[in-house]
Amino acid sequence: MAGSMTVFRKEMADQFGSKRFLILLGIIGLLSIISAYQGVEYLKNNPQRGFLAIFTGQGFGFSFIQLMVYFGPIIGLALGFDAINKERTSGTLSTVLSQPIFRDSVLNGKFLAGTVAVTTLTISTIGLMIGLAIPMLGFGPTIDGAFSIISLTLLTILYLAFWLSLGTLFSVLTKKTSTSMLASVGTWLTCVIVISILASLIANAMVPLPSFQGTFTNRTQGGGFNPEISTEYRALSEQRFTIQSSISKISPTNLYSEAASAILGMAQSRAGFGINNPSPTRTLTLSQGLAASWANIAAIAVGLVICFVASYTKFLRSEIRPGG
Amino acid sequence: MSKPIIETKDLTKIYGDIRAVDHLNLTVDEGEIFGLLGPNGAGKTTTILLLMGLSMPTAGTATVVGHDIIRGSKEVRRSVGLLPEAAGYYEDLTAEKNLEYIGQLNDLPKIECEKRASELLEEVGLTDWSKVKVEKFSRGMKQRLGIAQALIKRPKLVIFDEPTIGLDPAGTKEIRDMILKLNREQGLTVMMSSHLLHEIQLTCTSVGILNKGKMIVEDTIENLARLFSENQGISIEFKLHNATPELFKEIEGIDGVTLVNQQNGVLNVGMKRDVTIEVSKVITKYGAEILLMKPREYSLEDIFMKYYEDGVR
Repeated sequence: MAGSMTVFRKEMADQFGSKRFLILLGIIGLLSIISAYQGVEYLKNNPQRGFLAIFTGQGFGFSFIQLMVYFGPIIGLALGFDAINKERTSGTLSTVLSQPIFRDSVLNGKFLAGTVAVTTLTISTIGLMIGLAIPMLGFGPTIDGAFSIISLTLLTILYLAFWLSLGTLFSVLTKKTSTSMLASVGTWLTCVIVISILASLIANAMVPLPSFQGTFTNRTQGGGFNPEISTEYRALSEQRFTIQSSISKISPTNLYSEAASAILGMAQSRAGFGINNPSPTRTLTLSQGLAASWANIAAIAVGLVICFVASYTKFLRSEIRPGG
Repeated sequence: MSKPIIETKDLTKIYGDIRAVDHLNLTVDEGEIFGLLGPNGAGKTTTILLLMGLSMPTAGTATVVGHDIIRGSKEVRRSVGLLPEAAGYYEDLTAEKNLEYIGQLNDLPKIECEKRASELLEEVGLTDWSKVKVEKFSRGMKQRLGIAQALIKRPKLVIFDEPTIGLDPAGTKEIRDMILKLNREQGLTVMMSSHLLHEIQLTCTSVGILNKGKMIVEDTIENLARLFSENQGISIEFKLHNATPELFKEIEGIDGVTLVNQQNGVLNVGMKRDVTIEVSKVITKYGAEILLMKPREYSLEDIFMKYYEDGVR
């Protein structure tokens, strides 16, 4: 344990003094200011919604949740992707591991420091948003709302820690930092873009939509043209949506956005293609939200544990040859 | 009797089809400077990695400072300092911080780390550079910092893997003197690997020659040289003035002379037993003058090349 703490202290100094962390903090800070403004705008236009809508409301770009969906993986992977292989190539790993410490201390110390770094990023982002929103709106969250925000913070930390552990796994599995960086970029693209595209492609293949004529039922009453979406079409769309969202669940980003929306009291708004009536968003209490999203949260946690255990197993058995 | 500090028994490491270390039996006694000598790829680094627990042996056992290298690996690492081949440093930290970090990994309290770090930096001549980031260091300075790093735990044994590789002659000498000083003044046992025979000959008291993962020969340097010259007989070098071809023929005819050859004006006479007097008599008889006469000493290089060729065969 002493070894872990020594590595942890050094890694903390490294993380917080690094340009990488400052750049991430800068980007996230800037984007969260923008999303706070948007949230506030949204709230002004939809005054019936509570304070929590600052995290989900979007006017012209990113809400906080979308910010995390797109940039969260980058934060976690960027902080972890070279944790081990950088030390391996620079030759410091053989020096460190020839000291009387267990190998897992190195992983523990590094992972713990990374977790503190993502925690700092999360808390400062959410803090920044609340700090900006309260004076602009003139009111703050309710007690229940505050608990929801705390839950959102914890969920976000867990989500970022998952990406951190995946990055760490890449750094254990590959010898070169360039390879692990490529693996990280590939994973990010897959989770954020490819899976969504794949999901719609599969949905399209499984439930093809009828041709354009079937889309509308033309009820001519009094000579006017009043198109309405046929119930048949609507059923098909629903079916497609179900398929699409189940496939999307492969991606941790979707798991997170569903869980985060539920915690903030919103059932995921339906983003089906071509549906022109916005589906009503139910409002949930925090406990309902947590109940609805516990499976997602568990899945993210399991992913984290799997990555961590895999890194452990691989690292404990690896040969530490100088220069890789 | 001196106590063995490293003892390996049939230590074997196989990578795929390659036997990097093959049934290695090696003993290093306390207080020695032991040189592990061999061509590139002989298994020197692998042996060191196995001893330090950075690599797991395929078969065989070894004890280092009384601890098994597998079960007692952490204890081994507590009392053995290593300067790895191509040692790396945290380039964005100062020399002092690099050293203190290694000290802390050895569970030393902060104050003790700082104290030892400044003492060691003094010892390796880096005091003026202690607050400078390692990225500004030359190769020689980094190597000296590496030695300090190996020493901060106050080890009973230090292992230097190719300590002088890539250094200029002055840097090489500095490192060599440092190793000799550590051994003489602090009685520290040193094991160093090198592919440079000259280096080992100048520094080490004992040597083990490794080839293709096998220990070919292990002995003190004097014993090796003696053993070698006994096998090869005596050889004397003459530098002559006014030598004639008849003279060489006459020498070849002397009983006991096995070999006569002339190269660059130097006559080399190999003999089964010492017949130097007869040879010099013949030389003076032909009116030639002896400018220089000396027994040819076998350098470690000759020994090495002989064993190396045997190994290849």
